[in-house]
Amino acid sequence: MSLEKMLATYEFEQWLYLEAKLLDDIDFDGWFSLLHPDISYSMPVRVNKEGIERPDYSLDMFAFYDDIELLKIRVDRLKTDYAWAEIPPSRTRRSVNNVRLLEYAPNEKAVVNSYLTIYRSRSTDIHHDLISGERQDEFTFVDGEWKLSKRVFIVDQTTLNTRNLAIFV
Amino acid sequence: MMKTNINLEEMSQQDAIEYLKESVQPEMGAIPASLLGDPKIYDIEHKKVFLKTWLFIGHESEIPNKNDFITRDLAGYSVIISRGSDGEIRGLYNMCTHRGMKLCRADAGNKSSFTCPYHGFNFKNNGDCIGVPLQKDIYGGDFDKSGLGLHKIRIDSYKGLLFGTWNDQAEPLEDFLGEFKWYLDILAGRAEMEVVGPPQRFVIHSNWKIGADNFVGDSYHTMVTHGSIVKLGMVPSATYSKKGYQIHTTNGHGLNLGTPNPDFAFPEELKEEYKSNLTEEQYDVLCNLKNMIGNIFPNLSFLISHTKVKGQLISNTSVRLWRPISVDKMEVITWLLVEKNASSDWKRRSRESFILTFSPSGIFEQDDTEVFTDITAAASGTMPLVKQLTFNYTMGLHRKPVEDFIGPGVVYDDKFTEANQRNFYRYWLDLMTS
Ligand code: FES
Ligand SMILES: [Fe+2]
Repeated sequence: MSLEKMLATYEFEQWLYLEAKLLDDIDFDGWFSLLHPDISYSMPVRVNKEGIERPDYSLDMFAFYDDIELLKIRVDRLKTDYAWAEIPPSRTRRSVNNVRLLEYAPNEKAVVNSYLTIYRSRSTDIHHDLISGERQDEFTFVDGEWKLSKRVFIVDQTTLNTRNLAIFV
Repeated sequence: MMKTNINLEEMSQQDAIEYLKESVQPEMGAIPASLLGDPKIYDIEHKKVFLKTWLFIGHESEIPNKNDFITRDLAGYSVIISRGSDGEIRGLYNMCTHRGMKLCRADAGNKSSFTCPYHGFNFKNNGDCIGVPLQKDIYGGDFDKSGLGLHKIRIDSYKGLLFGTWNDQAEPLEDFLGEFKWYLDILAGRAEMEVVGPPQRFVIHSNWKIGADNFVGDSYHTMVTHGSIVKLGMVPSATYSKKGYQIHTTNGHGLNLGTPNPDFAFPEELKEEYKSNLTEEQYDVLCNLKNMIGNIFPNLSFLISHTKVKGQLISNTSVRLWRPISVDKMEVITWLLVEKNASSDWKRRSRESFILTFSPSGIFEQDDTEVFTDITAAASGTMPLVKQLTFNYTMGLHRKPVEDFIGPGVVYDDKFTEANQRNFYRYWLDLMTS
């Protein structure tokens, strides 16, 4: 691996760690500022297929299929006094690992895959939820900063074992 | 007077049923909290409700081609719903008749036969056993496979909605749905409808009845639980949820019709198709429809929702199953339905609004799930039973149904009543105590 790619990998690791921190700290505005205005943010429904047929996720149905406007609605909603699903907010801990830089054009574009595990604890409930999956991200360089311009989150469950996705993946 | 030291777990089934007869009083608007949390009641429910009535298993459009199949749950048992090479849809118990191995583990696919992973028996998708490895050698010359066919399940459909039942004595599906079919025509038969993609699935730590109760009659919660949606300007006002009709028919079915609507909630270009599929009266309802929320007994809820997304009005039609997993847990399975002949742009926007509002990430959905979970936790265990905690279901008990509505059923002329929940629990009680 070239030094340039190593540094870039490190840079995106740090980017993803910061993103995880902002979301875990419920800083939705801070998170929102990381997004590119042309973002496509999706989470396809995972399915059980016969054998090793791929892809084993749907191309037609999604748990998220958002652009910047819809993400803005979600963020705005979470800030109203009525967003019961997150009142009080879940305690989440996002762990990002296996970060791999797949494509890289300095100061332009990057494709980064990573694994994500979200631990979620709500209220006094002693059960916790685990949401795990792979992120397939694309970044675009704008005004000296990397912005997230595409995310596909491939979740590991066909039946999600969490009461809702009032949180971001 | 009732005994104060009640412990259903230690009661015989018959005693528990006697207890239900005394304590559940739908017509008085009294429903004990323990119905949502007691394991004994849950066990009886499985036998008396889920093994007795018709249950939703899918939509015909999920298996459009010959040899398409889906696997679904029918009262806790996996079943294969398959379209045979003859085009006919059949329901088969997903269990090999040899030693009981599960035959098929995929959610969906296309196959003319299924081979068992245990000893390799092969079954045609009409259920016939067509192959036994080394048959002649190990079973002898006159082994008869004809008795080894897969167990067939009684299935039927109405306007594309597929139902199955383990009860061979159950009344025909059309009779079970009865007058409610008039409204299901609007929901699922107004045009040729198709399911978009696979269903979404997620688990909520909630008793299944809370979902059914919420959809069958609870328009009242919209103002508060979904207050954030009003704040965002996606629906007109906090009281919009009151306007319209609440309607129920026999067998516990019920719905809430939000009317009027100054805008047409469906694709304009399909008006001719709607007219050809609906009666004049049904078409009239469709033209004025703002939303439609209801439940087919026991656990198939449905929804037509018309909201503003990105400044543009759009509707989505969905059905959802509250599939019980245990007394305090259910799998929610949701299907989006669209008009097959709608434009691709309309379909795209309808899906967008569905995902935004009523998918696991849906901004309506998520606030409901929070409520369902907390109610279940509060109703669980022995205390609600010992203390005989009872919920008040008397809203609208003083009101008289209207006589001049164009559709069938018992109709109230606004949605803030609990008549539908009382009707739901009446049928539930009838089955439980039968
Ligand atoms: S259990 Fe299926 S072949 Fe034996
Ligand atoms: Fe709701």
